[in-house]
Amino acid sequence: MAMSCDRSRKKWQKVLYKDQGVSDNYVDESFLEEMKKNLHIRTYEFWAVVRESNVVMHQIYSVWIFVAVYFHMRNFVLTPQFLFEMSSAVTIVGYIVNFVILHENALTKSRWKDGKTMGIFLILGFSLSPILMTLTKTISTDTIYAMTFFMLLANLLFHDYGTDAAIVSQAFSLNAAIFASICLASRLPTTWHAFSLVTFAFELFALWPILRRNLKIHFPRLQIILSFLLGSVVTVSVATVSSVAVVVFLLLHLFITILCPAWLIRLQPYKNNIHGPWDEAVIKQ
Amino acid sequence: MKHSICMVSDFFYPNIGGVESHIYQLSQCLIERGHKVIVVTHAYGNRSGIRYLSNGLKVYYLPIQPVYNQCILPTVFTTLPVIRNILLRESINIVHGHSAFSALALESIFHARTMNVKAVFTDHSLFGFADLSSILTNKILKFSLAGVNHAICVSHTCKENTVLRGKIDPSDVSVIPNAVDASIFTPTSTERDPEKITIVVMSRLVYRKGADLLASVIPEICSRHSDVQFIIGGDGPKRLAIEEVREHFQLHDRIRLLGTVGHSAVRQVLVRGDIFLNTSLTEAFCIAIVEAASCGLQVVSTSVGGIPEVLPPDMIQLAEPSATSLVESLDKAIAKRRNCQLLSPDGAHDWVRKTYTWQNVAERTEIVYDKISAATEVTLADRLHRYNKCGLVAGKIFIFIAALNYLLLILCNWISPVQNIDLAIDCRKLRRLKTGGVNLEQSS
Repeated sequence: MAMSCDRSRKKWQKVLYKDQGVSDNYVDESFLEEMKKNLHIRTYEFWAVVRESNVVMHQIYSVWIFVAVYFHMRNFVLTPQFLFEMSSAVTIVGYIVNFVILHENALTKSRWKDGKTMGIFLILGFSLSPILMTLTKTISTDTIYAMTFFMLLANLLFHDYGTDAAIVSQAFSLNAAIFASICLASRLPTTWHAFSLVTFAFELFALWPILRRNLKIHFPRLQIILSFLLGSVVTVSVATVSSVAVVVFLLLHLFITILCPAWLIRLQPYKNNIHGPWDEAVIKQ
Repeated sequence: MKHSICMVSDFFYPNIGGVESHIYQLSQCLIERGHKVIVVTHAYGNRSGIRYLSNGLKVYYLPIQPVYNQCILPTVFTTLPVIRNILLRESINIVHGHSAFSALALESIFHARTMNVKAVFTDHSLFGFADLSSILTNKILKFSLAGVNHAICVSHTCKENTVLRGKIDPSDVSVIPNAVDASIFTPTSTERDPEKITIVVMSRLVYRKGADLLASVIPEICSRHSDVQFIIGGDGPKRLAIEEVREHFQLHDRIRLLGTVGHSAVRQVLVRGDIFLNTSLTEAFCIAIVEAASCGLQVVSTSVGGIPEVLPPDMIQLAEPSATSLVESLDKAIAKRRNCQLLSPDGAHDWVRKTYTWQNVAERTEIVYDKISAATEVTLADRLHRYNKCGLVAGKIFIFIAALNYLLLILCNWISPVQNIDLAIDCRKLRRLKTGGVNLEQSS
């Protein structure tokens, strides 16, 4: 007769074609057995994260230096000639450093091409500067400052910090920065001022990130020293413009360098990535 | 106990597809069992109003046009008056929504619960968790499932996925697989080429269906076996990749691309093959492999989603989603075919005919309907409490929406009172008068 049916009952199988004698909403012990959580976890070490956060700070330094230079020029503390000469000298030194660390030959065709590009840019820039000056005559200064703020924010958001997230767009970031520089340059008194500021902006936002990236690849230890140097330059230049601004800058620095890494590490235990047989398969090579 | 059921979905005839045929077949089988079934869907072009399909299946084509992806615009509240009217006219006691992609289904379930009509939801697909669209869809699903009485999934993997996404109790989810009309998919031996081994592929040529895997498997198999040929039915953005492979390896006489194959012509293509190849990267159930098995083909497929649960090991060769593994499995299947070790086509067809039937699906669905009809009513307070559990912020928003819907229902009841709504004729009574029992003309 029906002897110990329960003991001889076969193990429940996860199949649809067998009638296993259980109701349709039966929940077996093996339910969700194949679910895996948090497979690709990374552990973060606090000081390592702090060190890596200086990538973001470098771009922020560029932005603050640029704005400080604008205000210095407005207050006639900085003359356009001085700015142009200094930035050109630093650019040429940076250019030489760049191809030295990349171990490239000093006398290749690309030197001539770069020289031509620079020449074209300078001539074009200089000839268009008078137009630039009167470009925003009818727009109020507040609007200009607001637009500049948002453009520089866009520059920071879309800048390529070394990850390949979908939001990264080098072109958009550079365009935003140049647009911001044009906004600010149009508020300056003479053509010379406008031209020197736009040239400086180009060197700062287009050429400096390239050198920075190459320095990071070849001399990673230099990053901290560079951060300290640039940080002090920014603090000094902003302090002479406004004391409120320098406090804001230091708080921002603290937030990004210390608080954000701590927050990231604090949130790691809440990670909840669910993987299982329902995931779309990744084609294995 | 006989029920009045309302099937709701954005996907129905005249569209052809998995969900569409599922709803139609299930409705027909439920009508055979004596229930009253109506279908509610949106308008298809000019097709709007009430139509009758075979056996008195009444279809309401609501005068709402689809806007995106065959679905109506989700407005939550504007469908309340028309759904309320339909549910009252037809004296519906169960609303059965299909497919998580269908806005109309989810909204109708919501309105049904506001009116205290029992609701069931069938999920036909698998979802991820990590990307933005999944996160939003899962939140909406949590909202819908918080109100539903019972859920049905087409495979055990689908059940696990739905339980995780919707955060519902697993004993409130039943697993009722899809079925296939085996009388349409019958094998014949005359169509097959006896000298060659034909591999049939029948799917849309898109990334999700593994078209890239297919493109890398074909040249390898063709070089290993000189008597193998491929017939590929279906179209899509990856068709170019297949054509390039054909060009590059000069396989014009060994690969035939048929383009889009109409639903009625699928069987004709399937019976020409010995082996059916499925390379999908994700599938909740995969009705295509059951259709192929019913036509007597040996199936080779990637082991993803619910596919391992569908066919027994002697009818399917499973492989990892990689080109090497698929080639290995195809080699095994081809070797078996050469040595005549495969299950006979008639044997496979009989197995499918007995195992996956729509009558069986209808019987099991009826058990679900009986269970929820017997369950006690949930009060409004309980419902709101369940909505609150959906999330810290989302819970409050959902409570607001549910309460507002309830107030709108009271408004509808005031404007158009229940007593003034005419009840529709019940087709079952007409059938009983016609087919059996008393002959009216004689008795009067």
